[in-house]
Amino acid sequence: MQNNHHKERLYKILVIGDLGVGKTSIIKRYVHHNFSPNYRATIGVDFALKVLNWDQETVRLQLWDIAGQERFGNMTRVYYREAMGAFIVFDVTRPASFEAVTKWKEDLDSKLTLANGKNVATVLLANKCDQGRDVLTNNGIKMEQFCLENGFVGWYETSAKENINIDEAANCLVKHIIANENDMLQSEVLDTISPQLEKDKGGTCSSCFRSQ
Amino acid sequence: MATEDRISFWRRTAKVPGRYHKDKPAFNQSKTKKASSFHEFACSTNDAWDIDDEEDYSLTGVILPNSAALSSSLHSHPAVLVQNQLQHEETVASHKPSEAPNLCNVHQDDTEFIHVNGKVVKSRSDDAHLSACSVRSTLQKQHSLPVRPIIPLVARISDQNASGAPPMTVREKSRLDKFRQLLANPNTDLEELRKHSWSGIPREMRPVTWRLLSGYLPANKERRELVLTRKREEYFGFIEQYYHSRADEQYKDTYRQIHIDIPRTNPLIPLFQQPTVQEVFERILFIWAIRHPASGYVQGINDLVTPFFVVFLSEFVSEDVENFEVAALPIDTQRNIEADSFWCMSKLLDGIQVQTHFIFISTDMINCKCVSQLKWILFQDNYTFAQPGIQNKVKALEELVSRIDEDIHNYFKRYEVEYLQFAFRWMNNLLMRELPLRCTIRLWDTYQAEAEGFSHFHLYVCAAFLIEWRKEILSMVDFQGLLMLLQNLPTIHWGNEEVGLLLAEAYRLKYTFADAPSHYKR
Repeated sequence: MQNNHHKERLYKILVIGDLGVGKTSIIKRYVHHNFSPNYRATIGVDFALKVLNWDQETVRLQLWDIAGQERFGNMTRVYYREAMGAFIVFDVTRPASFEAVTKWKEDLDSKLTLANGKNVATVLLANKCDQGRDVLTNNGIKMEQFCLENGFVGWYETSAKENINIDEAANCLVKHIIANENDMLQSEVLDTISPQLEKDKGGTCSSCFRSQ
Repeated sequence: MATEDRISFWRRTAKVPGRYHKDKPAFNQSKTKKASSFHEFACSTNDAWDIDDEEDYSLTGVILPNSAALSSSLHSHPAVLVQNQLQHEETVASHKPSEAPNLCNVHQDDTEFIHVNGKVVKSRSDDAHLSACSVRSTLQKQHSLPVRPIIPLVARISDQNASGAPPMTVREKSRLDKFRQLLANPNTDLEELRKHSWSGIPREMRPVTWRLLSGYLPANKERRELVLTRKREEYFGFIEQYYHSRADEQYKDTYRQIHIDIPRTNPLIPLFQQPTVQEVFERILFIWAIRHPASGYVQGINDLVTPFFVVFLSEFVSEDVENFEVAALPIDTQRNIEADSFWCMSKLLDGIQVQTHFIFISTDMINCKCVSQLKWILFQDNYTFAQPGIQNKVKALEELVSRIDEDIHNYFKRYEVEYLQFAFRWMNNLLMRELPLRCTIRLWDTYQAEAEGFSHFHLYVCAAFLIEWRKEILSMVDFQGLLMLLQNLPTIHWGNEEVGLLLAEAYRLKYTFADAPSHYKR
């Protein structure tokens, strides 16, 4: 996998979360600018590419849409490899999908770290916000606190259907990925085998980022 | 595979004629003729066939001793028949290069074609759209094919010729008669039935033939009604006993997953949006899941119910299965379709599992510490599982492809494409996500006719399927392009002829590989 640090950057980004929370829909919205209620359940992993212009640079995002049932499978380790960032998605209308968020985060962090041992930048998406926000309001969850405690760099209420906050969430994630990468470059502890580079401190772009 | 197995395989299939035979070179020669859609198709796979050419010599020694004995039955060999038939098609079509093959009646004029085709393409957009832009270039070739008839997604799914309902040919008529005769026997000769089913089962005969070949119905005709009655009652006994438990703490997760997946099973086919049908699927999947606690519900199983349901429904629907209102059927009929679908799907999954090619990991198993440790150990070696599973099948596919097409294999390596990234779904869903439903149904005719079709022969079909796209694969210039191609292969226009060719190639691979495992070794 190429990983140029000058004019073009390529990042692998995971999209994970319980089944039916809208991972595929978010990606389709983000990449193809449309929505359909008719996506079939993802099996294994689906793949998409998004190209961004970012400060006169081209950023290419490889989006890995991982089947919701895979947490119970045994392949997430394979899929996670070399990812630089992740979205963890839950459905605001289904409390169980929120309960699964920490499990997904644990799965991710236990199987994937940057070369320096730090966790990859992860953004939490509260999807289907057009259908209500039961989970967010009923449970009395303080999302900022939750993000801090669980190592998310940020969170967004999103709707793939209504196109709410998808771009914003992606920009936040990319910002943190680039910050991580720059940090690692500056640290100059280069790992010539892995495309990931060492970093010595956490990102500085978000108030809710917590160094692990 | 043990030598003995192979010998017995040859013996067992000695009646199944052909395998590899003299028509193949003729077939190869014929591909130099001028265009037809089949010709295009043959060209697109000519590299695969070229492998064949080399093999003519190397295989001669293996094949010839048998070929004399087989010659009498050669012409009825399914794989061979496919080739013969296609060869014939091509000959005819070559006189009319701008038209579709003769076996594909073109009902639509060009305008309608575009219109309908637009609809067809649109209806697949959930899958196809992802790659729409990037894969467009690779689709050029497909799009530049001579105008093909429109093939609806499901309508006429079970026709022998996907593209319409052409007048029955003499050959088809005699095939139908043969099936009638076999099935009318007091004791159906299942070997005979398999042999004839290999190259596709006539639509009218498919429901009963599938029930027989799956092992659901006994060969003894007298006993069939009794068995059906008993099994159907048994199934509805399960429903009565267990279905209410879907709200229980123990099962509510399982039910919730099924409930989420059902509306998105074949989401674009109206039939599957009917509440009646969705309820049928929920019951079937829930009962299967709780009766198989080691695996539970695994995404993909929902797809596997579909072909059975559609085929058993087709017994009662003459036209347009896609839009048929199931609730209009008598309740007993609905129940019979449901129970038969359940049992046949169970047989299918049990068969795959018994042969340990599938592994379903459930939450329970994950939580079991020793399994977790085992998994961890197994993952040490780059996910080489000592335990059988889908990963093993993917691994086997990788190995097979590395032997039969080094170019593709090295190309994947070069661009760091892993087979697991695209072939997991091929194994988990038996190619159902890669092919139109009508093709899956045709494919399953053969899988049920072939010994270990779903579990073993499928591997060779996957290899043949991959190599089918050789040119497109080798024209991609990066990882992204490759992955998007491989996850969105343009099979929307596929019908029986393409599946027939695929199966013939898979059959050839199986023999080559099974009998000379080191034949292609580098």
